[in-house]
Amino acid sequence: MVHISDGILSLPVLAAGWAITIALIAVALWWSKRRGNVEEEIPKLSVMTAAFFVASLIHIPVGPTCVHFMLNGLVGVILGILAYPAIFIGLVLQAVLFQHGGITTIGVNTVNMGVGALIAFAIFRVGSMYGSLVVRKELSAWIFGALAGGVAVFLTVIFTAVSLILTSREAFFAVAITLMLAHIPIMIIEAIVTGSIVVFLLKVKPELIGGLGDDNK
Amino acid sequence: MVEYPEIDRYSSLDSVMHRFDPRAKLIAFLILIFSIVLLQDLKLAFIGLLGAILFLIASKLPLRFVLQHIKWVCFFIVPFILIMPFSVHGTGIFHFHGLTLTYEGLEYGILVAVRALAAVIIVLPMIATTRFDITIKALGELKMPNMLVQMFMFTYRYIFVFVIEFQRTWRAMVARGFQMKTNLYALRTIGKALGTFFIRSYERGDRVYQALRARGYTVKPKTLVEFKMRASDYVWTVVIIGFAVSLHVVPFVEVT
Repeated sequence: MVHISDGILSLPVLAAGWAITIALIAVALWWSKRRGNVEEEIPKLSVMTAAFFVASLIHIPVGPTCVHFMLNGLVGVILGILAYPAIFIGLVLQAVLFQHGGITTIGVNTVNMGVGALIAFAIFRVGSMYGSLVVRKELSAWIFGALAGGVAVFLTVIFTAVSLILTSREAFFAVAITLMLAHIPIMIIEAIVTGSIVVFLLKVKPELIGGLGDDNK
Repeated sequence: MVEYPEIDRYSSLDSVMHRFDPRAKLIAFLILIFSIVLLQDLKLAFIGLLGAILFLIASKLPLRFVLQHIKWVCFFIVPFILIMPFSVHGTGIFHFHGLTLTYEGLEYGILVAVRALAAVIIVLPMIATTRFDITIKALGELKMPNMLVQMFMFTYRYIFVFVIEFQRTWRAMVARGFQMKTNLYALRTIGKALGTFFIRSYERGDRVYQALRARGYTVKPKTLVEFKMRASDYVWTVVIIGFAVSLHVVPFVEVT
């Protein structure tokens, strides 16, 4: 639902989306290249991207309707800065394989989901660093994992609403509000699921948490 | 629960779109999609939609397949068509319960729907008429950064592996009595199942990398497909891009 399809946004919004996305992908790839082992990074990153892609296809019944996971918070927590190109790849594939979202809007949609993922990563990084000083490590991971998952969805919905309103305030304001309200349950579900996944990963495979291929690992 | 990507299921058919060079096809149809989504006039948008349908017919894709692939856009568009006629100010057509349905809102709503539909229809002759791995190679030929091309290749291939893997996990859960409901227990169980799924994927990624290294993988692309532009490819490219440009140019010529 948050993948905006073609034909809705105006040229300036579309162009800004592409510009930001291209710049952030370039930064992420440059950062990964600078660290040297690109050929190691690419297969691993791609395999994880495929896993996230499949997980986002899962339908969850909520009341009378059906939602599917976004998981951009989790992508951020696991992949770190590389979450941004991973989400770009995922959205292009969503658009061309399943026609979820549009072609021209890939730039905007990547900003909407990707920036949320990057902020989720920052929240989890900083939060779990200081959180574990106050409460048990597991509880702190649950809290900040859930927070990262919830905030990522929240930001995605807000950014999506903003891209609609920037296109036409008058025409899309009501649609944007409806969209935001419809996503409150999804935000809560994502927060709970992300929290559970993060705690599980921390117990079973802690090296997965906190930026794939991170320097201080 | 999860479905396979089947976009290139009918890529082995034979039609003018199937024979169209993948590189030229991508460029030409991408230009057309951008051209149509930027149209401001309803009449022109309908002409764009008509063109899109003609290209779709030329691709000979089965109707069932087409409907299956455009249904999501229809879901996305519904709230716009339902809400916009009431939220845009303008000449009222009729009123009920304090809401006014305006002509301008209706027109804008239809414009959005027509543009969205036309764009998604064009994606089908563009993508569904070529094997998807060849489409990715064509992107590489079109100078997309090699790292991204490689990521597309790997990600696309492993989607199929993971759909099977996730279905297996899911079957195991259901066999043990798991029921998907919206409660805390079910969500936390899903979380753990997904956690296991991601760990398996990560470990698989490690093995994939090692296997690739053992076979001499470098990031450099090696492709077995040779692309060659023929006369008919140039003709189609000119036709499609010409149509895309004329949607924006012709109305101004008529006015002046």
